[in-house]
Amino acid sequence: MSIHVVVKPLVLCAALSMVGMTTQAEPLKIAIVETLSGPQASTGLMFRDATRYAINKINDEGGWNGEPIKLLEYDSQGTPAGAAEKLKAAIADGAQMVVQGASSAIAGQLSEDIRKYDIRNPGKEVLYLNVGAEAMELTGSKCHFHAFRFAGNSDNSVKALVDAMKAANVLGTKVYSMNQNYSWGADMQAAIHREAEQGGYEVVGEMLHDVNKIQDFSPYVQKIAASGAQTVITGNWSNDLLLLMKSAKASGLNVRFATTFLDQPGNLANAGHVALGAYVVHPFDAEANDSAGAAFSEDFKSKVGHYPVYVEPQTVFGLEMVGQALKAVEPEDGKLNINKLALAIEDTTLNTPVGEWRMRADDHQILLPMVVSEVTTEAKFKVDDTDMGFQPVQLLSGAEAEAPVQDTCKMKRPA
Amino acid sequence: MDYFIVSLLNGLIYGLLLFMVSAGLTLVFGMMGILNFAHASFYMLGAYAAYALQPVIGFWWAVVVATVLVGGVGVVTERYFLRPVHKYGHAHELLLTFGLSFIIAELVKLFFGNYPVNYRVPQALSFSAFHVGPSAYPFYRLLIGLVAIAMFVLIYLLLTRTRVGIIVRAAIRRPAMAGALGHNVPVVFMAVFGVGAALAGLAGAIAGAFYTTSPNMAIELAVMMFVVVVIGGLGSLEGALLASLIIGLSTSFSVGVDVSLAQVLAYVGMGDWARGIGGLLTLKLSSLSGTIPYALMLLVLLIRPYGLMGAKE
Repeated sequence: MSIHVVVKPLVLCAALSMVGMTTQAEPLKIAIVETLSGPQASTGLMFRDATRYAINKINDEGGWNGEPIKLLEYDSQGTPAGAAEKLKAAIADGAQMVVQGASSAIAGQLSEDIRKYDIRNPGKEVLYLNVGAEAMELTGSKCHFHAFRFAGNSDNSVKALVDAMKAANVLGTKVYSMNQNYSWGADMQAAIHREAEQGGYEVVGEMLHDVNKIQDFSPYVQKIAASGAQTVITGNWSNDLLLLMKSAKASGLNVRFATTFLDQPGNLANAGHVALGAYVVHPFDAEANDSAGAAFSEDFKSKVGHYPVYVEPQTVFGLEMVGQALKAVEPEDGKLNINKLALAIEDTTLNTPVGEWRMRADDHQILLPMVVSEVTTEAKFKVDDTDMGFQPVQLLSGAEAEAPVQDTCKMKRPA
Repeated sequence: MDYFIVSLLNGLIYGLLLFMVSAGLTLVFGMMGILNFAHASFYMLGAYAAYALQPVIGFWWAVVVATVLVGGVGVVTERYFLRPVHKYGHAHELLLTFGLSFIIAELVKLFFGNYPVNYRVPQALSFSAFHVGPSAYPFYRLLIGLVAIAMFVLIYLLLTRTRVGIIVRAAIRRPAMAGALGHNVPVVFMAVFGVGAALAGLAGAIAGAFYTTSPNMAIELAVMMFVVVVIGGLGSLEGALLASLIIGLSTSFSVGVDVSLAQVLAYVGMGDWARGIGGLLTLKLSSLSGTIPYALMLLVLLIRPYGLMGAKE
């Protein structure tokens, strides 16, 4: 009998360890930390939808290590503190990559937290995949080996806008710089000054105004009118963009708007025909490259319910690129070696419907094609149930839209 | 000169709009002691109601119906939500309206989506009233101003010159005595709250078309409303008007002033020193214009905590 008492647990142990051996290794986990509730949730939800679409696509192609990738979703509630908290939870839950994009402030927090975590936990590194935050410092003074930006930034956005509008002969020689008073707006303003010589224009006025506090833009429009500007280049988004454009129209101000965020959903519906003739630079336009863009758009619509707009295409392409890089990385004891993945991403080129995406190893800024489009009623893909859409004016390749590496980026690479 | 005239007009009309939005808030607070956090939500409701009704019954009727509708929501809020918690004190009322503002925001998103909607100034009204120098002045802005002025005059006359106004003021000052004299005090309270909400609804229906109608419009304006009410003095209608105009004019004119503290200090030979320090000293006044109202509020709270025209307690 006494033998039995000893043997039974032993057999059980053996059986359990067998079970352990037969089950697959833990699936690879990717976390998205976004603003999923509250007033700013609309953009966060777009990042989430696009991430879900991209991960599903990777899983349809077999996932990684024979297992589908698991997507974990965390609500940062729109604050850097909330995001930092959720990042801890995500890492505790076993996430090896963190996707985020909706705010440069949150991006700065996440990127720094991940940098520190990776220094303290060698062998258990976490990767930060920035799919939308555009502040220059993220690939400048705050750049590090475990952070990748799959989105444009102020420098290449302005460069693309200026080049395309100059080529189309609609830029004029007097430009007004109108931006929001925080890191993004300041970056935009600097970029607008930098491109002046190349674009053959003079910056006749500049303004950094409070973010999302101004209801009435007419005093600003008055100032633009006094400057005699022909084109206003603005990095404004959401209400600050809509109110500015509507106010300009109401005053009968005859200027052209060159924007970075006019393709945000709801903007065209709200602005109405005021938006006609405005220009926008974005990383994707369904019309830009014949049928390739349309095919992607239709597939996205069939799965998500609407055509990909605003930040969705870049999120999808960015994660597809990670998926492609994953194919080149072999599991080590069933686990993913993040440093090897990071090196693989640097070597990956992705063919998107609008052209080639390549990661620049020096600062981990994606080199992506940019499309400059005009708001017209002739565009093939109508937006927001209006009669208007974005009609491509010029498609610039990744090399054409490339802005130089910032001196401030001192990246430490693993030995 | 052109610039001055347009800035003056812009400032006045933006101020009048602010007054239109915050009048109801200060009215309800002054009369009932309820700090209504959901007031900005009533403003948003007005805009969305008018947006939904406009295609069916036309712009003007949509504005009228939206006003009445939001007033109705106010009445229901007072009768079925605020009245039961009234006996627990003002903190409970405040929390209740705070919660209500969240519910309204989520409901709006549920029905109208996360993004701005295409509520716009009707074609017939979007023309320029006159030209000042090179720029046109939109007629609709004047309309906003006129509605606000009409609103102020009407409320003011109603409260100070009519029997209704006397009863309302009596019910608020000495509710027990007014009740003993045979006036139905709860109904007076309900009506005041309803009118306060209706005013916000009217402001929303009119201004929503000119600015943007989006689920965030309540939050964006809510803070400014409280600033107006604090500067003007809690409960003072005239104070709210004065504060709104001050805010409107100061924001409008400050945009045109590209002067920084460093430039001012340069006159006393300290320009280089100030530029060396940078930060706040080199920031232009024009980029601070959105912050001026808050600085003003701070100043008022320090010097006259009861507001410009508020009653000293």
